[in-house]
Amino acid sequence: MSITRFLLRRLLVAVPVLLGILFLTFMLVRIGDQDPVAMLAGPMADAPMLARIRAELMLDQPLLTQFWGYLTRLVQGDLGMSWQGNAAVTKEIATHLPATLELVTLAVGIGALVGVPLGLHAAERPNGWFDQLSRFGSLFGFSLPTYWLGLMAIFVFFFLLGWAPAPMGRVSMMVTPPPVVTGSVLIDSILAGNGEAAWSAASQLVLPVGCFAIVATAPIIKHTRAIAIEVMGSDYIRYARACGFPRRVIRRIALRAALVPVITFVGSEFTSLLAAASLIEFVFAWGGLGHWGLNAILLGDFAAVQGYVLTLAIASVIIFALVDLIVLLLEPRARA
Amino acid sequence: MRLLEVEDLHVEFAARGLDNRVRVARALNGVSFTVDAGEVVGLVGETGAGKSLTALAAMGLLRAPARIPQGSIRFEGQDILAMSDRELEKIRGRRMAMVVQSPLTSLDPLKRIGDQLVRMQRVHGTARGAEARARAEAMLAAVRIPDPARRMQAWPHELSGGMAQRVLIAMALVNEPALVIADEPTTGLDVTVQAQVLDTLRDLVRARNLGALVITHDLGVVAHYCQRVAVMFAGRIVEDGPVAEVFARPAHPYTQALIASTPGRIAQLGYTVTGGTPPDLYDLPSGCLYRDRCPRATTACLAPPPRIALDATHGAACHYAWEAA
Amino acid sequence: MSATTLDRVVGTARRSPTFAVGFGIILVFALLAAFADILAPMPPTLSHPYETLKPPGSGPFLLGTDGNGMDVLSRVIHGARYAFGIALPAGAIMAVVGIPLGLIAGWRGGWVDEVLLRVLDVLRAFPTIILALAIVAATGQGFLNVILVVGFLDSPIFARIVRAEVLALRNATFVRAAVAAGNPEWRVLLVHILPNAILGATAQLPLRMAWAVRISATLAFIGIGVQAPAPEWGAMIRQGAEYVISGEWWVALFPGLALIAMVLGLNLAGDGLSDLLDPKRRATGK
Repeated sequence: MSITRFLLRRLLVAVPVLLGILFLTFMLVRIGDQDPVAMLAGPMADAPMLARIRAELMLDQPLLTQFWGYLTRLVQGDLGMSWQGNAAVTKEIATHLPATLELVTLAVGIGALVGVPLGLHAAERPNGWFDQLSRFGSLFGFSLPTYWLGLMAIFVFFFLLGWAPAPMGRVSMMVTPPPVVTGSVLIDSILAGNGEAAWSAASQLVLPVGCFAIVATAPIIKHTRAIAIEVMGSDYIRYARACGFPRRVIRRIALRAALVPVITFVGSEFTSLLAAASLIEFVFAWGGLGHWGLNAILLGDFAAVQGYVLTLAIASVIIFALVDLIVLLLEPRARA
Repeated sequence: MRLLEVEDLHVEFAARGLDNRVRVARALNGVSFTVDAGEVVGLVGETGAGKSLTALAAMGLLRAPARIPQGSIRFEGQDILAMSDRELEKIRGRRMAMVVQSPLTSLDPLKRIGDQLVRMQRVHGTARGAEARARAEAMLAAVRIPDPARRMQAWPHELSGGMAQRVLIAMALVNEPALVIADEPTTGLDVTVQAQVLDTLRDLVRARNLGALVITHDLGVVAHYCQRVAVMFAGRIVEDGPVAEVFARPAHPYTQALIASTPGRIAQLGYTVTGGTPPDLYDLPSGCLYRDRCPRATTACLAPPPRIALDATHGAACHYAWEAA
Repeated sequence: MSATTLDRVVGTARRSPTFAVGFGIILVFALLAAFADILAPMPPTLSHPYETLKPPGSGPFLLGTDGNGMDVLSRVIHGARYAFGIALPAGAIMAVVGIPLGLIAGWRGGWVDEVLLRVLDVLRAFPTIILALAIVAATGQGFLNVILVVGFLDSPIFARIVRAEVLALRNATFVRAAVAAGNPEWRVLLVHILPNAILGATAQLPLRMAWAVRISATLAFIGIGVQAPAPEWGAMIRQGAEYVISGEWWVALFPGLALIAMVLGLNLAGDGLSDLLDPKRRATGK
């Protein structure tokens, strides 16, 4: 099966799930007691004006008609207007998404770099002291609320020690931000040769990424350990021992076998952190997609909420497709 | 030439029960047998008798919580139990190779068959590169896998059970070991495939003058493929000798029951078959372990039976071995 | 307590220290919740308007006061009630909805299974935090709503765990034997499958409860669900957030520590429980 056909099929399969999510969100924001019309019009609006706005937004139509209207516009690439920023949702997503991707990619990257070796090491001696320690550590990491961790980090590193910059966004207000190319302020600054902005962006990243990475690492340790232990107990590892393969060779066989499930897990971790990012962004006034989506939910910004949820869902579809693609390349059984 | 010599081997496991007390399971209680070059020895017994455990011990593969409190294992004159992991790795798969059960899950799922055979040679330094590939292919041909050149490229999951078992035999023999241990090599295979696989194994063992230890619960396999047999019960060898001799004049009541339980034999031989379970390994009785199931048991059986030699090669661990024979 | 019971407790603790520690933490919080009125030095919402933001140790305020001049220690102690207030009913909903659902889906397959799997698909692509947020935001605030949303949202996940157990058991020899022996279907399901499936799911219950406590605190932190000045840990962290930059750390620190301890206790208990209930590990005594 060719790779393009594989990806196409994956996307087709994802369509009903995406539709389900959209429908759920669509109904959810509309059954609420928030009335965006009153919010939009302001306290001075009279009844006819409210009615006019309602009609403009199609909010007087039956729900299914509204949903159909939303879908037809969606197909044309129009996700509607966000009321909080008075801008097109697509544009808002484009400006906010890179900040979140930057945060999550770094956190998951660090989480994988730290968590996978620790998990593998713990699995070498199940129930040994290192295993017990890492088990407790990962359970502890599981129990840490990111937002609280962020607050405490701000207190210690900004207020007490003064090492970190003020938790206000992605780059200090004192420096001129670089022109937007990739959307990542750090990369854009480096591209523009703006050392000052790059330094500022990097120092702004340290605390949120650090806190987020701690939370990202815990489940990766735990799952890598479980995967490695299962592999080490498998028939083919036992057989490899019976073949007299030295430790080094056996370890390589085990690593190779653990790779696929570990990658799959890290992929799913990425999607769940994409959503969890909203909290850490909230604490650090990060201004990413999560922060924006959170505000949309709190304010009842219908189109923005739908756009946010749709973005998360599409991101997860893409990531799972990528993961499956990697699995396809690494795993002979999947190619059958 | 003597290849493997196991003497008075004991193996025990410590396990913690629900009541939090550590109890010891005595899985092997004095196992002795030998395998010489050029002979196929069958190790037969019911599930839980300790056959596979004996094989693992011989390969030096036992690890905690298993313990060897007593006994010795010598392979080609070397003391297996005194060897380091490093030294054992040089023997396993090189001088002494194993054919395991569950062939489909034992092959590395992420490597082609040919590459696995090449790795086996490279790791043990017997051959590398093109030479190793050529030998691998020749080995696949020797275990009668059709179209070996194409099979070299196959993944393990593309093989049938019988095919995979042949590949395991090829893996075991590719480094030309002196001894092959086959642990229930045909469980899970169709009867016709079983015969083919065992025929292949026997022919190769004969052609290369190897020693072989075949572990099975199938007396038919023993009768067909082995020259000598050792019968195990509850971690002890209760009878051993040339296959023809043991089958014609079984001296231990357990051997008799085993032979009699082969369909169609009961009436023919007139032995009594006594059912029952193996003794509790956590709480072994003193004396003869077969006592509770034995139709012939007397108070004499409260004392542990010695191995009574019936002739130079045939012996049984029963107080009444002479009477039966 | 008789000697044998004591033996058992000690034995369990020795076999899984993880479970023992987790259970101990939960027990402490249970006592705090039960006797909050006696243990807390003052009512949790009693405001001392002239003593706002006092650091820990000032006067009667062992852990200081918050921006409203309320005693942080008393509020942290009373917060345990909210933790159990979410963990117990949400856990009950998960069990009551999830177990029968998983049982039927796993045993019968068919459309129930199909629907469950599709719902799980959607949940997998739809981050639960966001979903919970959106539902509570839409259906209105209030603790009862949070309980219902968290409980029902997690039920399909619980159902999946039971379903997996049932699928594994369905082909087990003892189940086939029970069917072959002519037992009616309900009997096989209730007598042979249910107890074994629940055993596996039981260990998951504390873990899911930990998730429920965490998510409800998160909602309160965002400002949805329980609102300040109710002594809920998440809401208290939210209150403390604005003071962190100006150096008043204690308002956010202590409720956070309590939340972590409670969630950690549940996680430890769940993790240890899965060891204790796993017959394979039990046999090797590890």
